[in-house]
Amino acid sequence: MKSIFRKLAPAAAMLAMATMASTHAQAETLTAGVEAAFPPWAYVEDGKYKGIAIDAMRAIAKDQGLDVEFKDLPWPSLIPALVKGRIDLLVTGLNVTPERAKALDFTIPWWENDDEILVPKDSDKNLITAMCCGATVGAQGGATQYKWLEDNLASNDKVDMTLRGYEDYVTAIADMLAGRLDAVVTSTDTAEDFIAKGRPIKIAGTIQQNQPQALAVQKGDPKKLLGKINAGIMNIYKSGQWAEIVHRYAPQSTIRDIPTTMPSYVDTYQGDIPGYTK
Amino acid sequence: MIFETLLSQMPYLAHGLAIAIGLLVCLLSLGLVLGLVLAILEVYGHWTLRLVCVLFERVFRGIPAIVLLLLFYYGVTDYIEMGSFTAAVLALGLRSAAYQSQIFRGAFLSVPTGQMMAARAMGMNKLQAIREIIMPQALRMSIGPWTNEFSSELKATSLAYVIGVVELTRQAKYIISNTQGNILIVFGVVALMYFVVNRAGNWALYRLENRLALPGFEHRGDA
Repeated sequence: MKSIFRKLAPAAAMLAMATMASTHAQAETLTAGVEAAFPPWAYVEDGKYKGIAIDAMRAIAKDQGLDVEFKDLPWPSLIPALVKGRIDLLVTGLNVTPERAKALDFTIPWWENDDEILVPKDSDKNLITAMCCGATVGAQGGATQYKWLEDNLASNDKVDMTLRGYEDYVTAIADMLAGRLDAVVTSTDTAEDFIAKGRPIKIAGTIQQNQPQALAVQKGDPKKLLGKINAGIMNIYKSGQWAEIVHRYAPQSTIRDIPTTMPSYVDTYQGDIPGYTK
Repeated sequence: MIFETLLSQMPYLAHGLAIAIGLLVCLLSLGLVLGLVLAILEVYGHWTLRLVCVLFERVFRGIPAIVLLLLFYYGVTDYIEMGSFTAAVLALGLRSAAYQSQIFRGAFLSVPTGQMMAARAMGMNKLQAIREIIMPQALRMSIGPWTNEFSSELKATSLAYVIGVVELTRQAKYIISNTQGNILIVFGVVALMYFVVNRAGNWALYRLENRLALPGFEHRGDA
């Protein structure tokens, strides 16, 4: 019996060291949560993460000497995962909203979006008839488009619109093409990506939102990341790397001045912004 | 066009399937060991142990798999550090243990009680009697119903993507979002992959059942 323990002891010690080493390594690697089913911002092709947010995050990490790994979670799980600290950063086409600003801390906004009303190519609906008078409209549940439609149209009895939520936009578009929806409302980038990939849809109208998008960290920024990420965003923007990354995935897009609109309801945009000087 | 994409993405679908099968093997193993212990305690244990086992089994059989996954990933990880895969193994494995305990419990109870008495009369203690006499018969009888558990847990692995396990269903979603469509074709292929694994597993289990069958002791179709 004793000899067995003697033989096992070095192995156990090695195992313990290996575990310690791996937890040590984990402490330095930041986990960036992405929704890898959201082109052009984040997606997986040939087993690799790709997209504007992915490449930009890699560039920021290189600029600031950070070690970042990506973790894919479905969209409805991403914000809860950040709030619970399962991920350190949220890296995607994340819209800045008052509700989210209460739960997360935003970096400086790097993008601005409008919303597009999408209808099937052969539809005779226009931007009014696609949204009212008995129309059924789809959007991604938990997305800003869903919230906007709910607050401004679906809750108004005079408009008479039924709103449906989907886990992602691909299923919403498929449902519209199957004839169960009159229209789907997505952000401009998503709409352009669908059209570029040959879905038989068209834009019936645009809802101008000037909706800023940013990255996010945990509320209170416990890992002191905001300063580094903000500085990294500004560096890749100024060096022209940002424009290059955006045009790699969305050739038709216009680059916005960074930072874009900074809404007053976001605490981290008030006073001194870490890592950013006007 | 989509077929070319599917063909070129097949290695990643296969990788997703490998993750799903890995998850299945881990959760079924956990469920097998724990389920057997639970079953033995439920049938032969002291009433306090029996109560604990029944409580465990009722709780894990009474909560949807997806809710268990979310509870483990967002709740339990506050106290014990673990990754997505481990959380999925625990959530689905403990649930499987609850279901498997019921398969084994039924099998143990179907062995006539006289056998236990006879074994005890021959001088075996309770544990020996369970191990040498009751269990070999009960386990053989469990294989049939256990194939059901295999099938339903294979299908349950497709839920693990909600907590970030990139298995077959998630890999399929990657292809769908890259091409912004083709839901029907991609999920058709994925359905076929699940089906093939399911049939292969069931075929192997039925073969095992026939192989282990004792002449004169078959319990299937005996009139």
